[in-house]
Amino acid sequence: MGGGGFTMEPDNPALDDLVLSLTDKPAPRVLFLPTASGDPTGQITAFYGRFGRTAAATHLSLFRRHGSARSLADIVLEQDAIYVGGGSMRNLLAIWRAHGLDELLAEAWRRGIVLAGLSAGAMCWFAGGVTCSGGPPEPMEGLGLLPGSFTVHADGEPERLPVWLAAVRAGALPGGWAADDGVGLLFRGTRMTRVVSSRPGTAALRVELVAGELVRHRIVPELLGDRAGGPGSRPVPDDVRELRALRYGGRRD
Amino acid sequence: MEAGNPLLDDYVLGLTGTERPRVCFVPTASGDADHYIVRFYRTFAGRCDASHVSLFRRDRGHGAVEGDVEQHLLAQDLVYVGGGSVVSLLGAWRAHGLDRVLKQAWRRGVVLCGLSAGSLCWFTEAVSAFHGAPTVVRGLGLLPHSNCVHYDGEPERRAEYRRFVGDGVRPGYAVDDGAALHFVHRELRRVVSSRPRAGAYRVEPTDGDVVETPLPVSYLGDMRRDLALA
Repeated sequence: MGGGGFTMEPDNPALDDLVLSLTDKPAPRVLFLPTASGDPTGQITAFYGRFGRTAAATHLSLFRRHGSARSLADIVLEQDAIYVGGGSMRNLLAIWRAHGLDELLAEAWRRGIVLAGLSAGAMCWFAGGVTCSGGPPEPMEGLGLLPGSFTVHADGEPERLPVWLAAVRAGALPGGWAADDGVGLLFRGTRMTRVVSSRPGTAALRVELVAGELVRHRIVPELLGDRAGGPGSRPVPDDVRELRALRYGGRRD
Repeated sequence: MEAGNPLLDDYVLGLTGTERPRVCFVPTASGDADHYIVRFYRTFAGRCDASHVSLFRRDRGHGAVEGDVEQHLLAQDLVYVGGGSVVSLLGAWRAHGLDRVLKQAWRRGVVLCGLSAGSLCWFTEAVSAFHGAPTVVRGLGLLPHSNCVHYDGEPERRAEYRRFVGDGVRPGYAVDDGAALHFVHRELRRVVSSRPRAGAYRVEPTDGDVVETPLPVSYLGDMRRDLALA
């Protein structure tokens, strides 16, 4: 997600519902990793507010003790979905690596556990992103599970975009995607299959370096839900979603 | 920053030899927890030039040091490192180059102190018991010993630490809650405490066994009065 979900859209569950639906489980186990912001209480409370009733929700703190003797591997690999919050991409990756969580998350991905996140929690999966961890935006390498680079908040924090474009042009980052707040890119394996949005009027941008030139391609996302975005909009049940997809020849991945 | 007990804080401030010391709090190990930062300012702002470094909210204007963190840290009389996860602390510091800056501050004579993770980080090896079973992590190595904290509070650590030292972790120091090791350069100068019964121990292998030797501890309060009250 270029931005969105429960920490940014308290009244709009469209993106979070999509994450849950990807697990194909009636009561999925969802683990929240608030590492990038230092496990702030506000984010954790908001997570349980959004997922507490619809999922078996837990969070993993790397700063406060749980009093649990369970290993990180046991906790991570039993999930159906792992949801990573925003914050500092530099801190996120450094702290994950210090705990060995980078390797555990790669293993989770190989096992088919849904990996989701916004902002730093989205860029981390790609070859690289643009972080503001040190103040001004700068390119940064990610875990590299997904090919290409990703930059977030294209509309909300426009100062990131020129830094990203310059990094792609200079070869410091591979080509990739930029996403507005509310826009989510959905990958199966390493292939992008859908671009969705919780907010009308938003877009994603595909940028590639071809013969030394940046080639840009604007992507209009599929708007989620019933004109999703309005406060109080209800999640669409799976069977209705399927019916719609069949009727309208919609994308079924 | 023990509630209602300023003895250790007074002691570290005294080490600066300055009337109004510049004190910087580094709460990385807690994820820059707001309540911890507030507690720091409540404790120190009245009598020090107090500041803090945030590695999580640098662009959000929470009153943290902005701009050149390195120069700021090097200009302090005292750097106070908060508790939390030593693994997360070291990971974040290394990503920001703060490990290097703090070593430089130490060489320049800035007093470095901290509790829990903020103690472990200065040593070459440290026992962390954050997730699952205790493990040994590599600290900054300013103090060429091993360190184990909360020695009285968490009995499993005591056994694990002794086992680690028996298995080749370098000899070092185990410390109860409320006790503090005071090093000058790499040498232990003194052990002080804010609680009458808090202890500290030298733990080292001897003839195939691990020996735990209690160290003399100077209680910083009024022993006769406080033991009578306890």
